[in-house]
Amino acid sequence: MTRLNIKIVTAAAAVALLASLTARADSVKIITNNSVQANQISVRELKSVYLREKNSLNDGTHVEPVLERSGAAHETFLKLYLKQNSDDLQRYYQSLVFSGRGSMPKAVSSDADVIAYVARTRGAIGYVSAEANTPGVKTLAVIDTLNSPERQLVTYVTPVYPDVLRQQGMGGIVRIRFTVAPRGDVHNAEVIGGNPILGEAAIAAVQRWKFIAASLSTVMEVSIPFDAR
Amino acid sequence: MQRTFKLIFAIFCAGQLALQAQEFKLFERKVQVHGWVSQGFVKTDDNNWLTMDTSSGSAGMTDMGLNMSMQIADNLRVGAQVYDRNLGELGQYHPSLDWAVVDFKPKPWLGFRGGKVKTVFGLYNDTQDQDFLHTFALLPQSIYPTDLRDATIAHTGGDVYGRIPLTHGAGSLAYTVFAGHRTDTIYSGYPYLLTQFGVRFTTYGGLQYGGDLRWHTPLNGLVVGFSRLDQDTKGTGTRAGRFAEEHSIQDWTNQFYAQYTRGRFRIDSEYRRYLRDQRIQNGTNEDEDDIRGWYVAGAYRIRKWLEVGSYYSHYSITATARKLTDRSLPQAHINDKVITANFDANRFWNIKVEGHFMAGFGNAPYPNGFYPQVNPTGFQPDTNGLVLKTSLKF
Repeated sequence: MTRLNIKIVTAAAAVALLASLTARADSVKIITNNSVQANQISVRELKSVYLREKNSLNDGTHVEPVLERSGAAHETFLKLYLKQNSDDLQRYYQSLVFSGRGSMPKAVSSDADVIAYVARTRGAIGYVSAEANTPGVKTLAVIDTLNSPERQLVTYVTPVYPDVLRQQGMGGIVRIRFTVAPRGDVHNAEVIGGNPILGEAAIAAVQRWKFIAASLSTVMEVSIPFDAR
Repeated sequence: MQRTFKLIFAIFCAGQLALQAQEFKLFERKVQVHGWVSQGFVKTDDNNWLTMDTSSGSAGMTDMGLNMSMQIADNLRVGAQVYDRNLGELGQYHPSLDWAVVDFKPKPWLGFRGGKVKTVFGLYNDTQDQDFLHTFALLPQSIYPTDLRDATIAHTGGDVYGRIPLTHGAGSLAYTVFAGHRTDTIYSGYPYLLTQFGVRFTTYGGLQYGGDLRWHTPLNGLVVGFSRLDQDTKGTGTRAGRFAEEHSIQDWTNQFYAQYTRGRFRIDSEYRRYLRDQRIQNGTNEDEDDIRGWYVAGAYRIRKWLEVGSYYSHYSITATARKLTDRSLPQAHINDKVITANFDANRFWNIKVEGHFMAGFGNAPYPNGFYPQVNPTGFQPDTNGLVLKTSLKF
């Protein structure tokens, strides 16, 4: 390994340690069965799927959510994306079940169970802690719109995982804040959470994304997972 | 009472076994099974309430249900639920089909339900039977009278429904349009009320149609909505051995509601106006009842296992058949102040302790909880009551 690569890896390790202590918002990642075509999902779409308001993504792929019954990943997911606590969510599902308006989503006990279920179930979507090893499933970037209605992503570019970090098994979730201009191109992308070296790779990709045109600029955040399998 | 306890015990034991057995496969499709059983005890100081002998203390408040559902295809789901209840003189343990639905939802903004469908009306109409979904043992009776659940709980027909995102960050609209036939059991509150006059209906029901529109606002946790219901009902039976009939001239309900949930705190409020104009006594007379009700409720979850709540509920009625026009009279209103503690022992079992402090008794041609048949010596103006209720669900 070259001296430069050693410095990169050391710096990345230090930042990752610091990030693990502070970046609670980056502590869950969204995983799907490999049958799901999308590479990203909006917070609104994710919420709609888990509240049983829709059972397919915008690209038409059918999805089936799976929950964890408890745990840190579960609580973080509920707080971040559903804006509900566990008891209210259970009541909501039960109101659907007992009034005939819906069914209970699958619930399992641990990250490992989520990964196993998602890997074998067509259309399954779930969440696990960011540091979980997720073989056989896909991880999705999560896009959150901060100041106006959602803008549909029309061109997605996959971030390139730096080889030196992948080989060292250094992954994680990077959060990027950016502005989408009215024409749909991305400006002012900055890393707001996660490993900065992975962040540079994420920014390089995000800057090439294209969104549907709108009358105003839109500020968004995206959580991009880098899985060091 | 002994039969009730044996039944509850048997269901509890079966429930304990069934708690883990909630899913099985049929024709390679997963079938979900869910159910519940609830038992209540009510004690009042003066008037007997909800057709029970509550002045002596009554455990005549039991209900239970069991459902199965299956996802047949990505957009197609079927299911059914059976329900049984006893509430004093009502229900009488006659199990019935609560709902049986084919649900086809090709788009998030367009879905279709057909069969016997629970009616989406206000915040809690379609879930009023499942007290474990609510803070309170009894929902505000001005809006959700448990003795009259048959009037609004379900229709045999169909719904068109969906949810539409709004532009410019304005939230989303959820709509339901429904139409169908309402069929009351003869063990519900209105047929029971009429037995005091010797009228025994053998059928009661009719056409129901209406809709619900609720706005999930941009403020997270705030929902506001409006529901409308029109009906054309008819009851037939006998009075003193001769044919008896009554039917609607006009019958409509408007209901406005709002709910705000933030963290552990929830507040909701509803207002209902129900105008019920009937041709009664084989068409010889007319009775127009103008029923208005509203409540404001709040709840707070102190701990994972403890939630507290309170509501103020107001109900009033004017009735032309009885020349009842002054809503301030005790027989024309019920004001109910309620406080509740809800203990969640675990995710399957909860216990509620609830106090009701009621002024008025609403004794009118259309019932709301107080019946002359179980109060033969007349009514006291005020009633204080304690409700204990426990539910097991899976």
